[in-house]
Amino acid sequence: MFALTSSALATACRRSLSTAAPALASLYNPTEEHELLRQTVRAFADSEVRPQALEHNREEKFNLELFRRLGSELGLLGITVPEEYGGSGMDAVGAVIAHEELSAADPAFTLSYLAHSMLFVNNLAVNGSHEQKLKYLPKACSGEFVCGMGMSEPAVGTDVLNLTTTARANDDGSWTLNGAKMWITNGTVSKDRELGDAFLVYARTAEGPKGISLFLVDKGMPGFEPGAKIEDKLGMRASSTSGLVFEDVVVPADALVGEVNGATLCMMRNLEIERLTLAAMSLGIARRSIEVMNNYSTERMAYGKPLREHGQMKAHLANSYAEYMAGRAYTYEVASRLELDSYGNQLDTDGVKLFAADMAKDVADRAIQVLGGYGYVGEYEVERLYRDARLISIGGGTNEAHQNNMSKVMARIQQFE
Amino acid sequence: MAANGAFGRVLVGVKRVIDYAVKVRVKPDKSGVETVNVKHSLNPFCEIAVEEAVRMKEAGLATEVVAVCVGPKKAQENIRSALAMGADRGIHIETDEEVAPLNVARILAEVAKAEEPSMFILGKQAIDDDSNQTGQLLGGFLGWPQGTMASKIEPVSDTAVHVTREIDGGLETLELSLPAVVTADLRLNKPRFAALPNIMKAKRKKIDAKTPADFGVDMASSLQTLEVNEPPVREAGIMVGSVDELVEKLKGDGLI
Repeated sequence: MFALTSSALATACRRSLSTAAPALASLYNPTEEHELLRQTVRAFADSEVRPQALEHNREEKFNLELFRRLGSELGLLGITVPEEYGGSGMDAVGAVIAHEELSAADPAFTLSYLAHSMLFVNNLAVNGSHEQKLKYLPKACSGEFVCGMGMSEPAVGTDVLNLTTTARANDDGSWTLNGAKMWITNGTVSKDRELGDAFLVYARTAEGPKGISLFLVDKGMPGFEPGAKIEDKLGMRASSTSGLVFEDVVVPADALVGEVNGATLCMMRNLEIERLTLAAMSLGIARRSIEVMNNYSTERMAYGKPLREHGQMKAHLANSYAEYMAGRAYTYEVASRLELDSYGNQLDTDGVKLFAADMAKDVADRAIQVLGGYGYVGEYEVERLYRDARLISIGGGTNEAHQNNMSKVMARIQQFE
Repeated sequence: MAANGAFGRVLVGVKRVIDYAVKVRVKPDKSGVETVNVKHSLNPFCEIAVEEAVRMKEAGLATEVVAVCVGPKKAQENIRSALAMGADRGIHIETDEEVAPLNVARILAEVAKAEEPSMFILGKQAIDDDSNQTGQLLGGFLGWPQGTMASKIEPVSDTAVHVTREIDGGLETLELSLPAVVTADLRLNKPRFAALPNIMKAKRKKIDAKTPADFGVDMASSLQTLEVNEPPVREAGIMVGSVDELVEKLKGDGLI
């Protein structure tokens, strides 16, 4: 009953990984617009992004020029933003497609895209006022501005609600920020530590876990300086990571995003799309790793036959593909029911990242194993993908944070659907 | 005909083909190549034609760009790609029959009579059958001048264009009076990536649904495919140690 004819099997093998069965294709590309989005981002990723990845990884250099083209040429920087603010009005599935396709070419570059488009642009689009959106989003969507978000601090990561950067209310309604942020993607955008253009910064405005507010801080405000540019990272080396330092930075009253002491809501809303798109990045890493090992195992001969005909290699190929498809189906299923301005999907937005991050790490690891010595050097791509994959079990929430969150939500559920 | 632009409407032919990156396989019964579950896209030369027409509109030369496609139901995706690149509307002549140059040219000629364009731009050939015939046949049916395999199209007035063609001896420039048929070569331009805002706008653009019968064309082909075969497998080469050895081998094989 389960026997596949050899010709059916051959047909299945000939299909590229992008050509899924019709039912699944609609999960991954629910509308014609999603399909066109995937085509256009994949074409751009193949011809413009992948060729620059190795060099920028070696130089630990963010490709600012290419980044701006994501806005000016493709309209991807404001992917989830309504058209009136210069965006493209796509949904969470669209965001997942863009991250998946770009990440298959260069995860580090994609991380900078994510920090800008999800952590700043989408965050402000969901949580900001009309005036704040009008002021920042058109420039952030076009690529004129490179932006980021500051949550983690030198001594605060997973326990983010204990953050210590403070914002003190002044009599004239303005706020004074003091403190430091750490691990900020797009914190600086050049080798000589030029700051990104604008940031969303979480700061303490009262005692306790709820006493946190969100502020817009611009480059050039007195007292706002870049901290150290973090070099020598294991992976994501073409994405710029820095500290941010606030020394009596005065921001105007209208820099407050949302309510005073209301930023935990902004945070919860935005963390869900962040985790979902980080999972999407893992999917891209896994898909590319599979493509590389799959093609290599057809071409490379050992003991007189292609690698792929050796049983141990079959296990690497087949297990990788099955795990990738499981992660892909889970991620797109969650994306298809995520409303960008909602929260309460933590079980699954943590779940997809928890699963996909380790899946991609394992798949990239197997790709190295299949390529042997070639897999261990940069030129063959999977060495870089393996290092880049490692971040996603840490950044945007550690695996342990996801496990903690999920376990809490699961405690309230007796029966699963 | 010219309203805002120096000349008026531009029609562009678009064809759905197996994607260039797919390794094409012959069906076991040799009746053709496998098309089921194979990735399809817009023919790359048609993409160049669309790009050229859209640039003409952006330069204020053309008033409207219409993408015309003869092909199966799914070809609507490919028309949508052309709309996402900037074409204003589409015309889809739906058929499941083989899309052969003669019948396509007959249909396009009827579309041209109805739409009255200043120019009809097509790809010089489609990468599936490599026929390189549709543009020429269309020019013939319409009695319009034709500039095939264009590497440059320059308007010289609102009634004429210069078309530069790469030929064996160098470059040839033709002056065509409008309306004319032009087919696009590889170096005419580099097509843009469809920007996401334009992808979103494309869904609001109109695609007219037609059939070959609407234009009085019978899609039955006058050609019959007897058999399709894989190209012969190239034999592995050998390595020689020196020029002398090379010459000796070539002599031995009677090649020099």
